[in-house]
Amino acid sequence: MRSPYTEAVRPLDPRLLRYASAARRFLAIGALLGLAQTVVVITFAWLLTRAIMLTVAGERLSTIVPTLAALAGVVVLRSVLIWLLEVAANRGAAQVKSQLRARVLAKLAERGPDWVDSQQSARLATVVTTGLDALDNYFARYLPQLLLTAIATPILIAVMLWQDLPSGLTVIIVIPLIPVFMILIGRVTQSVQQEQWQALQRLSTGFLDVVGGLGTLKIYGRECRQFDRIRSITEQYRTRTMKVLRVSFLSGFVLELAASLSVALIAVSIGLRLIDGALLLGVGLFVLLLAPEAFLPVRQVGAQFHAAADGLAAAEELFAILDDDIDTTDAPAPVDPAAAAVAPGGLGAGSLRLVGVSIRRGDTVVIDRLDAEFAAGEISVLRGVSGVGKSTLVAALLGFVPLTGEVTLGDVAVTAGPSRPWLAWAGQRPGLFRGTVAENVALGTVSAGQGTRTVNLVAQALDWAGAAQLSPTTVLGVNGDGLSGGQAQRVAAARAVYRALATECQVVILDEPSSALDADAEAGLLAGLRRLADMGRVVIVVSHRPAVLAAADHVIELEKLIHV
Amino acid sequence: MFDLTLDPAACDVLRLAQPRPRWFVPGLLAGVTSAVMAVALLACSAWLITRAAEMPSLAYLGMAIVGVRAFAIFRSVFRYLERLTSHDAAFRQLAELRLGIFRRIVPVAPAGLAQTGRGDLLTRLVRDVDDLQDLPLRVVQPLLVAGITAVLSVIGIWLIVPAAGLTLLVCLLLAGVLGTVFSGSVAARADRELAPLRGTLADEVLEIVENLDVLTAFDALRPRLAQLARTDERLRRAALRRSVGVGVQSAVVALFAGAATLGTLYFGIPALDGGGGPLSPDLLGPTLIVAVLVPMAVFEVFGMILLAASAWRQVRVSARRVAEVVPASRPAEIPVDVPNPQLLLATPVVLELTGLSASWPGQTEPGVAGVTLRLAPGDRVHLAGPSGAGKTTLTQALVRFLDYTGSYRLNGVEARLLAQTEVRRVVGLCEQRPWLFDDSIRQNLLFARDTATDAELLAVLARVGLAEWVGERGGLDARVGERGALVSGGQAQRIALARALLADFPVLVVDEPTANVDSAQADALVRDILSAATDAHRAVLLISHTPVPDELVTARVTLSTRAQSM
Repeated sequence: MRSPYTEAVRPLDPRLLRYASAARRFLAIGALLGLAQTVVVITFAWLLTRAIMLTVAGERLSTIVPTLAALAGVVVLRSVLIWLLEVAANRGAAQVKSQLRARVLAKLAERGPDWVDSQQSARLATVVTTGLDALDNYFARYLPQLLLTAIATPILIAVMLWQDLPSGLTVIIVIPLIPVFMILIGRVTQSVQQEQWQALQRLSTGFLDVVGGLGTLKIYGRECRQFDRIRSITEQYRTRTMKVLRVSFLSGFVLELAASLSVALIAVSIGLRLIDGALLLGVGLFVLLLAPEAFLPVRQVGAQFHAAADGLAAAEELFAILDDDIDTTDAPAPVDPAAAAVAPGGLGAGSLRLVGVSIRRGDTVVIDRLDAEFAAGEISVLRGVSGVGKSTLVAALLGFVPLTGEVTLGDVAVTAGPSRPWLAWAGQRPGLFRGTVAENVALGTVSAGQGTRTVNLVAQALDWAGAAQLSPTTVLGVNGDGLSGGQAQRVAAARAVYRALATECQVVILDEPSSALDADAEAGLLAGLRRLADMGRVVIVVSHRPAVLAAADHVIELEKLIHV
Repeated sequence: MFDLTLDPAACDVLRLAQPRPRWFVPGLLAGVTSAVMAVALLACSAWLITRAAEMPSLAYLGMAIVGVRAFAIFRSVFRYLERLTSHDAAFRQLAELRLGIFRRIVPVAPAGLAQTGRGDLLTRLVRDVDDLQDLPLRVVQPLLVAGITAVLSVIGIWLIVPAAGLTLLVCLLLAGVLGTVFSGSVAARADRELAPLRGTLADEVLEIVENLDVLTAFDALRPRLAQLARTDERLRRAALRRSVGVGVQSAVVALFAGAATLGTLYFGIPALDGGGGPLSPDLLGPTLIVAVLVPMAVFEVFGMILLAASAWRQVRVSARRVAEVVPASRPAEIPVDVPNPQLLLATPVVLELTGLSASWPGQTEPGVAGVTLRLAPGDRVHLAGPSGAGKTTLTQALVRFLDYTGSYRLNGVEARLLAQTEVRRVVGLCEQRPWLFDDSIRQNLLFARDTATDAELLAVLARVGLAEWVGERGGLDARVGERGALVSGGQAQRIALARALLADFPVLVVDEPTANVDSAQADALVRDILSAATDAHRAVLLISHTPVPDELVTARVTLSTRAQSM
């Protein structure tokens, strides 16, 4: 059930047109097709009336056949136009979805990992894939009817006014009443829904709660009591939902009543004037045939209201991302290409030095004027209680979070930029991809996979990460599916080692690399890190594991370094 | 297409979803009345004005005028009633449906549900069960309403002009058959071509979004985005190719609606001279015009059938998925109680395993094999072993969610001779991912022992190190959120332990309590769990990869590697 707190649905969000040029194109094509459809509808009614008039006048079939033939042509034409409009709508949906998806992903890339982390990544991913599919129905069912309401209804009313003023006036009076009543009923529905919302939310997940917790319930011997609970949850869900439905179905009722009652009023009024001879049968019949057509698009718009609301809600989430302009105070510093590209010579050697480094998160200072030195050729362990800012510091060194102060590598300043050639890193989450282990390890190098050097380096990196037994050709599923937690962690570490070996980068940072490893695997990884350090690299490990601390040349307690 | 081929298991599921006649028929009657009135409104209006054109006295038209107005109003009223009663019936049936599914799940859960390890699978099962409501609402009801109305209209027209009635019948049949065949093949092609591409795209997007940090840090974002753009392009091209077929259904219906109108006219005109059907032997102009216009209204009602066809495809998918997840027969790996299970009278309890092996349903290799272990009151055993060694499989066998081979004795009695509930009365399990119910902390504890007082609850929370936290949260009434969303992994473990302590199991198995806990807090959690669970009458089996200090355990057992693990 939809939250009532979303704002009332606008028929067409102008941002859709702004962000997706395909939507503009569809509206233009749809308008033309809608216009053609309207002309065809009017022609059909006129020809049918003519055929009936000839019949009533007692003409022979042979004189009526030409009219029937024309009618048949119009019927075929109408079918073709209906088909074309649906095709255009479906094409529009496919193109708009692609355009919006591309824009959002470009936006995510621009905002960077830190911002994405604050957004619930799974939800973001859903929004740009299945969430966007809600636009299918919006385009296929709702927008065409909205176009027809805007195009066909006024034209049909104009024709009716021209042919028979009273009938036209009836439609003119009734049609504006529809949105008025819809809005009124919508308000009442919303307030009823708001009363029920909390209870409905809980009740709607109640069954899931019981099914999901069934193992736990069985452990405590409580499974048999759940039958009554399920029955009562569902029964309460029914009574509360029906309270809402009783009101929300009223909008459909009003739509149908307005449409059919108008037709009835027009029919009766035409009938009475025909008796008086004030109107010709041909005109009356023609107008009677047009009246339901004038209401049809409005009724369809009402019926497809939910498709529209779902589609717009999905689009709304995207627009929220696209509209969200970068807040300059909290974003990474603007890129200075010259500084970012650290002089090649500077990559060669030296230790990583932090002088007066501060990191702010919103209004909180996470790291305050930190001074630290991580020496080349040593394993430095960074530790501190959880929440002290270890991972934030790592994110800042990666350039995902802005920092102030000075970071130097062998006396050359390193600045945040689009790339960080001096740094190899493995995060707390392994972050693996579909593909082979080798492809994962060699991520980011241009010709990953085939060259002998690459193959050797991948094997070496896996060995140094304590994962020598893992075959580089093992194929992983999405998000590295198929590996155990410990295996995934070692592949991620191997990826950092590989980068350090393959690209000569000076600093290797591993964030909790052994949290899922047993003692043997941990020892293997630490031996590999020692060899990296012996090659003159700066090796930084965030950890509190005793074995890691024992292997450290230098331990930096983060909490003690913070100036409170 | 109305492909009715369904395996019996899915049929059983569908049968649960269809409301009993007592609930369903009122909605159906209201629906048919409303639809027939919609047709009658047009028929009556057409007759009214053509008859009026003959300028009879007003008295001849009185009935028609009343009829037109009444049909217009009551058509909407009955439609409203139809929607209310049919939804009410569907919701009433939802309780039966959920209970029916639950009854099937209980004996096999949790180990017997296909891949229950994945939370999203359960979510989908529950959503699928709820989606089955569409069977009465969007499939059966519209089919019956449209079908009955169409049949009644055909008979009505046939009585006036037999040939026109037959034309309408043929057009309806053709539209129905061709329309559903077209839309069915279009949907099937979409499933074949688009679904895999959609899946690939979703996977690629998820990988990019979730691993944006990795891709950025390794300079691999740009190529990934380029690859995604190519997948997107392929999906878009496939969707564009498919779009040609999508509108065919509506076009076919519009075509046959027009054909029906034309056909009635074509066959009706000669009948003006030759005489009409049984009801109007001397066919008159106004009557013929009714016959010509009625097909338009019938086809509007008939459009529901095509929507029902697409709803049916979705309902069928849901029913199949439900039937897949909930096995109709119990897999061999899931234990069944022996006919006259023995009772375990004595406590304290001694648990002995000798060469115990257990397997998951559908797996050829045993999940755990050859475990020998003894737990006596006061024992605190730390069980370690590499991942894949079958530690969790063992816990499932210990609480009899999985059957076993070898020997598993409680106080010397073979566990398979005991009722499962009896085994679970003495052997408790704190699961790796404890399930917290979307309720208060109090309710999450009380179901372990519903006679516990608030003081007892607070005392047990203090024992597991949550006294301060509960105080900050505002006491026992604080909610834990959906699936414990408001509680951290460590706190969830502690609540689960508190629950187990309340139930006072003589044997308590704790499965990887630190699996979802910040590694900095893991040591403290293991320490707290062991000290809280320590009791002279209780045996504790702790499974953990976090190192455990010697003074807290009485013995250590290492499970050897079975599955290929590094």
